[in-house]
Amino acid sequence: MNPVLLIAIPLLFAFLSIMNKKFARPLLLVALLLDVYLVFTISKGLYSIGGFSQYGINLLVDQYSLIGLMVVNVVFFLTVVTNCKEVKRLSTVLLVALAGVNGLLLTNDLFNLFVFLEIVGISAYLITSGNKRPLATFNYLVQGTVGSGLYLLGLILLYSMTGTLNMALILPTIVDKAIPLSNLALPFMLMFIGLGVEAKLLPFNSWVKGVLQNANALTSVLIAGVFATTIALTFGRLLSTVFVLGSISNIVLVILAVTMLAGEVAAFASKRIREVLLFSAIAQSGLIILLFANGLVIPAIMLIIANIVSKYILFTITGKMVDGTKTDEIESLQGVFSKNKLVGFAFTVASLSVIGLPLFFGFIVKLNILTSLFSQYQLFLSALILVVSLIEGTYFVKLLIKLWYSVGEVKTFKVDALVKVVTLIFALGLIVFGVYTKPLTDSLMTVPEEMMEAIAERGNF
Amino acid sequence: MFSIELVVLSTLLAGVLAYIVSIKLPKLGSYLTILASLAVFSVLAYFGFNNNLDAEVNLIPQFVLFKTSMFGLYFAIIVSFIFFMVSFFNPYFIKDYKYPAAYNLFYLMALAGTIGVFFASNFITLFIFFEIVVWTSMFLIPLGKKRKPTVTYFVFSTVGSFAMLYAVMFTFSITGSFDLAAISVLSGKSALLVYILLAVAGFAKLGAYPFYVWLPKVLGKSPDPVSAVFSGGIEKLGAFIAFMAILRISPASIYLEAVGMYLQNYVIAIFGAITIVVGTLQAIRQDDAKKLLAYSSASNGGYILVAIAMSSSISLTGAMYHILAHALASTAAFLAIAVVHYRTKTTKISELGGMIHHMPLTYMVYLMAIISMAGIPPMGGFISKWLIFQAVINKQMIIVAVATFFGSIGSFLYVFRPLAALFLGQKLPKYKGVKEAPFLMMIPLIILTLGSFYIGVIPNQVIDFSNKVIAEFGFGPLLMNEFGIQGANGTLSAPIIASVFGLGVVVIAIIFFILPKSRKVGLMDTYTSGEFIYTEELLHYSADFYAPFERLYPAKPLISKVYAMIKEKVNELGRFFKYWFFTNKPEVTVLWIVLILTLLVWGDIL
Repeated sequence: MNPVLLIAIPLLFAFLSIMNKKFARPLLLVALLLDVYLVFTISKGLYSIGGFSQYGINLLVDQYSLIGLMVVNVVFFLTVVTNCKEVKRLSTVLLVALAGVNGLLLTNDLFNLFVFLEIVGISAYLITSGNKRPLATFNYLVQGTVGSGLYLLGLILLYSMTGTLNMALILPTIVDKAIPLSNLALPFMLMFIGLGVEAKLLPFNSWVKGVLQNANALTSVLIAGVFATTIALTFGRLLSTVFVLGSISNIVLVILAVTMLAGEVAAFASKRIREVLLFSAIAQSGLIILLFANGLVIPAIMLIIANIVSKYILFTITGKMVDGTKTDEIESLQGVFSKNKLVGFAFTVASLSVIGLPLFFGFIVKLNILTSLFSQYQLFLSALILVVSLIEGTYFVKLLIKLWYSVGEVKTFKVDALVKVVTLIFALGLIVFGVYTKPLTDSLMTVPEEMMEAIAERGNF
Repeated sequence: MFSIELVVLSTLLAGVLAYIVSIKLPKLGSYLTILASLAVFSVLAYFGFNNNLDAEVNLIPQFVLFKTSMFGLYFAIIVSFIFFMVSFFNPYFIKDYKYPAAYNLFYLMALAGTIGVFFASNFITLFIFFEIVVWTSMFLIPLGKKRKPTVTYFVFSTVGSFAMLYAVMFTFSITGSFDLAAISVLSGKSALLVYILLAVAGFAKLGAYPFYVWLPKVLGKSPDPVSAVFSGGIEKLGAFIAFMAILRISPASIYLEAVGMYLQNYVIAIFGAITIVVGTLQAIRQDDAKKLLAYSSASNGGYILVAIAMSSSISLTGAMYHILAHALASTAAFLAIAVVHYRTKTTKISELGGMIHHMPLTYMVYLMAIISMAGIPPMGGFISKWLIFQAVINKQMIIVAVATFFGSIGSFLYVFRPLAALFLGQKLPKYKGVKEAPFLMMIPLIILTLGSFYIGVIPNQVIDFSNKVIAEFGFGPLLMNEFGIQGANGTLSAPIIASVFGLGVVVIAIIFFILPKSRKVGLMDTYTSGEFIYTEELLHYSADFYAPFERLYPAKPLISKVYAMIKEKVNELGRFFKYWFFTNKPEVTVLWIVLILTLLVWGDIL
């Protein structure tokens, strides 16, 4: 089946949903179900749109994009299902977002990527406008626009040097034409910054705080889970198959390391649960991009999967909790889990997994990351990762203990059975994969080779 | 044959079972913990002593590998025994916990984790189980009344385990192997780095200086059985790591002629000595019996470190012996205090007194435990301290020797405080109807005391065992005949010393019974110059027990200020980032982008 359907169906349904508002939500659900079904049935390969194989837009389905599509579509679907009430007004926007997300994961063309980036961006602005914090949304809008503008600028520069927009052809062309690395520094840096805005990297991410600290379950899972994963994977593909970091690698590494550190210490210094989680999300995305920048694709994908699952649990539960108790001050949320043990269990498992304790998936990921970093002999970076994960562990443990043990009156909140079931299943998944990872690691094994193969094959045109 | 894997897995399963049972019947679940830990202990002891443990791994996937060694077995038997002993207290305390089912689950998971650590054959296995112990035991702490120590424990444990992880990964990056033996291959600076990191791991877990601040917080505020398990069992993981680090790695370093040892060992010994002194001084000042014992645990950890650092047959035997003796004695002491806590609801020494009238057996248990901890015959602590003193004197390490003796004499002071003011002394009227420990609690108390006594009188079996352990590290056996241990400058005959002591007890008993009985008066019969007393508690003689000491030095360890400062700095850094980077003004972000681009263009292109 053609993967373009993954983009076309949601777009078509989006148009249909405008015509009749009543059917918007069912259409969204149908589109999501179709997409989930498609994701599990499409076969790998390079699909040219309109048959212009070299000059037109290509969609690439390899193990990398396949894993990304599966994770993102499933989580997108579950997010919509578990937040049915909030979705209503946003159905059309969510359909567009779905198309954009799938497009980002599939596209093999730099300009097409820009288009999808804008689509995702615009839908993200609209989704966050539901927070009723117009200033934060405006802030996000300005920064997002600046970011994609910079990406476009970098793209133009790159195009003028290489003469191609096909992602698989950029590297071979650079080698062919022997373009000096110093010339490439500016376009790549511009594109890096452009994507960095969406990927929440440090100096470009001030929008995150305003957006996520007021977000409900739907918005926060979409922004911090689904979109973040998509952007991280897109970024990862560019970093591993397109970008030649060369002379800017130092500046990039510093930005990423500082993002990680800043995220964790800022979370440590925060007193509100959503703030803690959003800063933690920033640190995590810093780490993910850092791994990609060091060429560690497998650990990065593992981290992305662990991240989206745990972010889904954490943000969904937090969203429901804040809705129910009308507060997100950790001090006044003390002991909430003593009345909601199942939800508390899922939350606890997710945070223990994020900390990276054994028996949970996060531990396997952490071990994998460190083993790969040490096999590159990256002593400083691994020490930094350990230090920040100590800080991370500290605030998560503090948070958990406060949420489980009360001092004085305990606030209560209600969670629908569906949310309970989904978060529990995800939590159990984290435990199962924490103990038995073979199927996952096996399926990841081939990812880097496939990514490189695509370039090598195309290079021979 | 019995496989280690099966022990670990069935303990985990028993934990899950105990959890399920405890959802409806918490008390029944806690009885399950007794059964499960009994099973673990007896299986390990029986099959271990007969060399019949099977290290093969079939069910646990991935890189988990086990091996059997005398070294691991020694620790595993001691710690599983402590878990078993303490579990007798679980049924009585379970109703006070907020999440009783979770307690039973984590108790058994922590046990399974410790077993896994001691039988690990590679570092990954070691680390996995080490971390399992950390997080499961971490969740035992807040079940008491205080939540804060949990975070403290997590931070210090994680500093230790991350140091270990770094060492492991570093070793892997050089040798390409996770095997425990790989660290012996290292040399030069890389060996030094791994040595330091593993030492930090051991120090952090054992609660040695400068990491000892977690002990009083955690042991002092946890539920009583948890404190006992920490002090007698989980803390010993640190000794296990320290043993491996100090004895297996030989970094390039300076040989100190004067004391006949390498610099790094000397530094460890000095840190051990500091731990002894600081722990002792702080213990003397404590009014809370549990905190007092916690500091004493720290200082005893110092003895173990000193002994390991000296690396001779005598000192290592001393270390092994001390691990056992301290495990038995400190668990007994913590459990005795737990009984008092259970019956009176307080552990503050100044609020108690005269408990001997209500709980004579608990008093005896505590007395014997502190005799062992202070290193007085005829208890196990005497033999271990004798061995350590022998080794220290033999090496002519004056500073360390002074510290060890100081610690030993200081321990008289601090163990005497609860004895005199909590068990003896005036009985407060409000504790009139207090009863002796329930039957089930008495079992471990008596067994631990008898065990402590036995190893103090007949040390042969333990020394036989520890000879096999130190042989694995390449040290010759400690010589021993039927009644005596051959030290560096003399022979110790424990049975003779014990019988002399016994004789003394008999003589005193005779005198006690011959002399006329003393006249009994009311315990609150205090008077002062004909004035009426309104606040008789202040005149209770356990109030301000060691007032002279309390004027000498602050009650809080100075180093805890450093930790508070580090925490504040991290907070500050967080606020700094939040202030400068997470504003609600897009122009700031644009400014950063422009700055970075300028930097780039300036540096690379122009």
